[in-house]
Formats: sequence, structure tokens, C-alpha cells
Amino acid sequence: MDEAASQLERDHVHSVYEKIAPYFNDSRYKAWPKVKQFLLEQEPGSIVADVGCGNGKYLHINEDIFKLGCDVCRPLVDSAWSRGHEVQLCDGLRLPYRDGCFDAVLSIAVIHHMSTKERRIRAIKEMARTLRVGGRIMIYVWAMEQKRRKFEKQDIFIPWNPNPPLSSALRQRGNGTQSVSDDSASSDKHRKVRSTSSMVDEGDLISPGQQKQQRLWFFSRSLDSVLDFTSLTVSRSSSSTLQTPVDEASESRSRRTSSRGLIRQMSSLFSSSSRTSLEEDVFISDPNEQVHKNDNRSSGNGNETVPLELVHDCSSVPLPDLVSYQRDQSTLEGHVEVDGKSSQQEPLRRQESTASLLESDGMSGQSSEQLKDSCLRYYHVFREGELTQLIQNHVDELHVLHTYLDHANWCVVAEKVQVWKV
Amino acid sequence: MKLLTHNMLTSHVKGVTKGYPLIIKATEVKVNELEFNSQFVSRMIPKLEWSALIQAAEWLGHSQDLPSTLIPDYENDEEFLRKVHRILLEVEVLEGCLQCPESGREFPISKGVPNMLLNEGE
Repeated sequence: MDEAASQLERDHVHSVYEKIAPYFNDSRYKAWPKVKQFLLEQEPGSIVADVGCGNGKYLHINEDIFKLGCDVCRPLVDSAWSRGHEVQLCDGLRLPYRDGCFDAVLSIAVIHHMSTKERRIRAIKEMARTLRVGGRIMIYVWAMEQKRRKFEKQDIFIPWNPNPPLSSALRQRGNGTQSVSDDSASSDKHRKVRSTSSMVDEGDLISPGQQKQQRLWFFSRSLDSVLDFTSLTVSRSSSSTLQTPVDEASESRSRRTSSRGLIRQMSSLFSSSSRTSLEEDVFISDPNEQVHKNDNRSSGNGNETVPLELVHDCSSVPLPDLVSYQRDQSTLEGHVEVDGKSSQQEPLRRQESTASLLESDGMSGQSSEQLKDSCLRYYHVFREGELTQLIQNHVDELHVLHTYLDHANWCVVAEKVQVWKV
Repeated sequence: MKLLTHNMLTSHVKGVTKGYPLIIKATEVKVNELEFNSQFVSRMIPKLEWSALIQAAEWLGHSQDLPSTLIPDYENDEEFLRKVHRILLEVEVLEGCLQCPESGREFPISKGVPNMLLNEGE
């Protein structure tokens, strides 16, 4: 399973970041204030590592400490280096640093890209290894619980859009550094704008009308499971406006669009739309019109659901099913999952709030090109307490000091402690 | 790659126990000028593996007569601190590689960035 996990990460984390690296730019990727504060609190002469540093946005903070960054994505690392930072290319699971050499370590929005619990634990342990006793680590991961929206599952794919629009409200504030599409005024923007002095939660700027939007993201089954087959679900939670009315009792028939067709559709949905959110935002939302357009297109094929086989392509690697997990989820959410063993024949069922389709087993991944166009990134979003528990139960050498929710991220600050082995 | 960074780096090839320090084979070295901060340097020194630093400096031909063991009361020796400042922060390896002293595995340094990624199974 570790091979499956690392393949998933290669396809849906590493290669995506390599692709989107040129589009990262600092104006839309500012430092989180609490992270900045953590760095500023370090004693002069400290050595701090930013593991998963991306383009190095934290590496300039605090001139009195020595910071080094590392990441697995070469273009991002090169970008950080060109800004004058000390950076290395490496893997978070095998850090090339000697034991106990850092006074502090940052892991900001990194381990949520790791596709199994075991790997997430390993990553934390690796960072703990490089921390000196008494040193502190700050870990940020995306939260499943959000202020205004809710992921229904923890393992998801989120598309990337390089051109998130500014909301009209933000434009009025003279923040228009980015090009905005003409009809963006009506579209939903979950874009967070950050400056060093204030944080603006995009949600506050959205009018109520805009809030009733389609939300679109893709679920994968967790890799942490016992069964072994290819299955992916795409779920759309909508408060309204699918063209075809859906109620709890209705079911749609099994759909088998080709993965190419699906991918094309999804690609066009996301690439043509300038409405999807900033990559740091947790949700993608589409304006009603966009979805209706999509539905118009797809209703031509008699297909009223968002085709899901695309995600087939996300896994040329089987994603094991977590049947019992799914059942728990389904009882919670009124969401019926299908046992993947007979995934090829399973009917699709659409509930009031979610539509899910199972990916068929037999298709081979031919459309990786189109897939990469949609740049789906894998995330395991964390429940409240999950990160803390992970550390408490599996990482003896770290002692959790603080846990808090910071703008849709769960954060833990922990201290390295001496572990006495008997 | 600065030598301060190199002092933290180790070979993490599977099975290797003596992967530190990595042998520097530099093909392009640059010396920058950086503002000297004596407090910064003197606080950094206890965190270093001193002998690894001396060795690294030698490999780059920048030994500067640094002592092989730390002198007592170095915090007040500005001349000494300036030498350390230079070797830690101003000398930079732009191209070359880092070699694991045990396995011989070479990690390339390109455009100042060491590539410490391991292959599957390494």
C-alpha cells in the first residue's frame, strides 16, 4: 500500500505542484500571521526548518534566525532559492538532516497531502527527529470543518485554478492585482486575501445570494483501508440548483461516460471558469450559471450528473475502499455508498445533497494528459482533534502544547521531549 | 548551498550509519558579502558540528586557519567570529555534489540547491 500511496502523491501532489509552480506568486500567497509570530518568537541564532516550504514564503521572516527550507517540488524550490533562501530538494518522509539539529520546524499545509495515516505519522516523526529536545514544531493542515461549508469526506481531490478572480468587493477596495472576468461580480469567490496586517475572510464579503452556490470537489476513498479496488466518488453538495431535481429517494442510472469525456468536461468546467477559488481555499464553488451550462452540456447526453470516471484517471493505482468507513459516513450523511467489489455494475444513487458515482475498475488510465490539465490535488482534510490525537498516540517524542483552528486550518504546536527507553 | 546548511545535512541512504558529514565536491563556489552579526554567529557556533565545519571549509579551500577545536571564550573574539561568519554564510557551493561517506552515493548540487531526493528502495 505504501507504493500505492506514493504513486497517488506523485500523481496528485508532486506533479500538480510542479505544473502549477509557475503560477504561484506571492501576492496571492501571503504568510499566515500566527506562523509569522511563531518564527518571530524564536531566539536569535536559532536554526529553523520549513519542511514543505513551497516557494519559500516563510523563509524571509526574522533575520536573526537561520532558516532553511525543503520541498519535493523542484520549480518551487528553485523559486525560493532565487529569492535568496537556503533550500533543498527532499522528501518529507526521508529528511536529510541530522538528529536534533533544528530549534524549530514548520510544517505548513504539507502533511495533508500525504495519503495514508501511516505516512502522515512518519512525516511527523521525521520532523521530530530533526528537532532538538525543547525545540518546537508548528503543523498546519486543512480542516474538514469550515466556517461556512463542510467537507463530507476527508480524502478529496481539489482542482487548481490559476486565475481565481477577485470578488467585486475586493476590487472596490482597490485590490485588483489580478485580472477578473467580466461576470465575476456575480460569482462566488472564496478567495482569501491576506496582508500582513489583516486577514480578510472571503466568506464575509460574499453576499447571501452568492452563497447559494454549487460546491464541487472530488472525494477519494481513504487509502487506509482493507479492501483493494479502484473506486472514487465525486460528490457534489448543492443547496439548490441542479437542473434535474433531486430528492432523497431518487436514483440515477449507472452512467458510464468515458474517462476522456469526463475529464474534458471537468477540465473545461474548471479551466474556462475563473470562478474557482484560490488554491489555498478549501472549497471550489461554481456559480449557478456555470453549473447550468455544464448540465446543459451533459443533459445532451442524458447525463445529469457530473461525470466521475475522470477520477478514474486519478488512480491508475487502486484506491482501496473503506466500506465500513463509508457506511458510517452514509448513515451520517444519508449518503449511500456502494460496495466496490461489483463496481462495474453498481447503480448510481443520488441523494439530496450528494451525488456519487463509482469508478469502474476496468478502464485504464489513458487520459493522464487531460487529467493533468485539471490538476487535481489530493488532500486528506483533518477533523477536529485528529492531528492532536495522531501526535499523542503515535509520536511519543512530541508533546502537544497548543491546538487551535486558524482560518480553516487545524494547527498544532508541539515540543520535542526526551523519550526514555526502558 | 552554504556551509551552515551543509553542517545540518546528512546522508539518509538506507542502512547507512555514518553518513555525516557529506563530502563536498564543488565545481563552482561563490563568495558573497553578508552583513556581519556577531551575536548571530556566536549563538550559531554551539549548534554546529565543529569538526564537520572545519572539514567542509578545507574541502572548499577556505580553511582560513580556523582551529580544529573550538577556542574558549570565542564569543568575544571578533576576528574569530568574522572568520566563522565568512565560512558559514558567505561561502556558497553553486554546483557540485555531496557524497555519502559510507555508501558513495552522490547527491547533486545544482544552482545552489542540493537534491537530496532518494530513489525508491534507496
